[in-house]
Amino acid sequence: MSQDLAAIATTNLTKRYGGVTALDGIDLSVPRGVTYGFLGPNGAGKTTTIRLLMGFIRPTAGSARIDGHDCWRDGVRARADLGYLVPAEALYPDMTGEALLAYVGALSGKPITLRDALLDALELSRRDLRRRLNTYSKGMKQKLALTAAMQTNPSLLILDEPTDGLDPLIQRAFESVLADLHGHGTTIFMSSHDLAEVERTCERVAIIRDGRIAAEETIGDLKALRRRIAEITFAGPAPEHLAEIPGVHLVRRDGNRLTLSVEGGIAPLLRYLASRDDVADLLLAPPRLEEIFLDYYDMTPGPSGGGDGTPGAAVAVPLKVHRP
Amino acid sequence: MSVVARMTGRLLRNGLPGLIALLVGIALFEFVQPVVIASFGGAGELTAIMQRIPPALQAFARARPEFLALSGLAGYLSLGFTHPLYILLAGATVVGFTARSLAGEMDRGIIQIPLARPISRPVVYAARLLGVAIICAILAVTGPAGMIAGILFARPEGEFAFQHLAAVAINSLALFWAIAGLSLWGSAAATSAGRVIAWSLSLLVVSYFIDYFASIWRPLQSIVFLSIFTYYDPTQALVTGALDRQAVVILAIVGTVAAIAGAVVFTQRDLPA
Repeated sequence: MSQDLAAIATTNLTKRYGGVTALDGIDLSVPRGVTYGFLGPNGAGKTTTIRLLMGFIRPTAGSARIDGHDCWRDGVRARADLGYLVPAEALYPDMTGEALLAYVGALSGKPITLRDALLDALELSRRDLRRRLNTYSKGMKQKLALTAAMQTNPSLLILDEPTDGLDPLIQRAFESVLADLHGHGTTIFMSSHDLAEVERTCERVAIIRDGRIAAEETIGDLKALRRRIAEITFAGPAPEHLAEIPGVHLVRRDGNRLTLSVEGGIAPLLRYLASRDDVADLLLAPPRLEEIFLDYYDMTPGPSGGGDGTPGAAVAVPLKVHRP
Repeated sequence: MSVVARMTGRLLRNGLPGLIALLVGIALFEFVQPVVIASFGGAGELTAIMQRIPPALQAFARARPEFLALSGLAGYLSLGFTHPLYILLAGATVVGFTARSLAGEMDRGIIQIPLARPISRPVVYAARLLGVAIICAILAVTGPAGMIAGILFARPEGEFAFQHLAAVAINSLALFWAIAGLSLWGSAAATSAGRVIAWSLSLLVVSYFIDYFASIWRPLQSIVFLSIFTYYDPTQALVTGALDRQAVVILAIVGTVAAIAGAVVFTQRDLPA
């Protein structure tokens, strides 16, 4: 994609703190209108990237652009139509929720069009808004910060851990809000630790590791690249030569049941199984973002290891993925 | 309402109870001066007391007892503006605001609220500058207002020209502006409000004592020009009504240059994580 058309574009974006390299020349291009997940564990460089986009810190090298405007040198224009989630702890404790929303709205210089709808969706009552923020729980502050970020219906949202502190029901309500905004063409750039949420919400993801982009794909493409796990139960003895099918590797043999990892297309395996009449059961688990993410971080325990530092080197086995 | 005015209003409201408490303290302190003088029986009785005080302590008055004796009620009332407690209260008010509004907001992340909007750093800084300028102006009139109230209440013996308080207010305003500029510079460079307060108050104490010791220890006189308190003379202003324009200009330049330096630092620095 041409960087001129991108809502967010970074070129060789680098940030060093003394001898420590927090970001090492990342190139990102976030097309307009997409919901984009930015994944990585603590310290990988997610927040540093977001702070560079917001112009809070200056790049050591390279550049970050929003709508073609340099985030450091031309920050006012870069932030002209942007909603940013301020950390919940960085709100004036002596203000009421109502006053904070009015203040943030006034600083934005845009009409407030979504406040009521957001308050309803996130279940923040008008009575709550009349209270001072120092009486709010973390979750309430997070809802207020989300409302403040989105109330002017900006064309670009930058959200760092947006569901941190929200209960699961409100998380789902928030995802619904994001889906609505996305439907209206809003570009959403969000980092999250909740991979299931990113999988539900985002179309594209970038995985950042040690300050570098380890992968950048649509979620569909990432899944297509990912090895699937197939669990096959045979009526009689399991065949010996399944691993000869291209892309198929034996993970486990347990009596009549085989656990296989399948790389690339699943069709050769299905064709082989269709030619047999002793297949009692077939379970094909769809690849999950969490597994893909863990592969990139070599966190997946498996028969052939991982831990060699090569993304995707580990053989996947089913994980206890937290999914509501 | 402009963005700068809106941000300044927010900054002034934040910590307003503390600000009001300090202003009330300053007003009360100045209110008490004429009451105390009246309780001693007027300026004449105070002259006798002042002459019994050791010279090192007389230096705190930043004026010779003979001069105070000649200057009458105005001279003694001016002690209210040179007293270390007055300087400390006023300095704490200015430094507290600059530390809280810039370094404090950076430290707590609150400054992200305006900086995440289409607002430039110079505008965010200008709101702090306007806020501290308003505080300096309020401070400059609070002391004289307290003193006027005290004189009207206690009616101490002696002649006093109320209009001379205007010169004191201008000289005080220039001093507070210099303190504001220096502490705003520190606040722009620091990462926490605590450091700014420590740095700024240390600078004030050192500056005060250079000026103080220079009057009793000759070697310090060669560097006394470095102290901002050298350019602050409320006694002269209150007794004669004359303003040392050169001193006021020097203080104004110190404050302005320091504030500009702070703006440069703030617009170029990384916000703390």
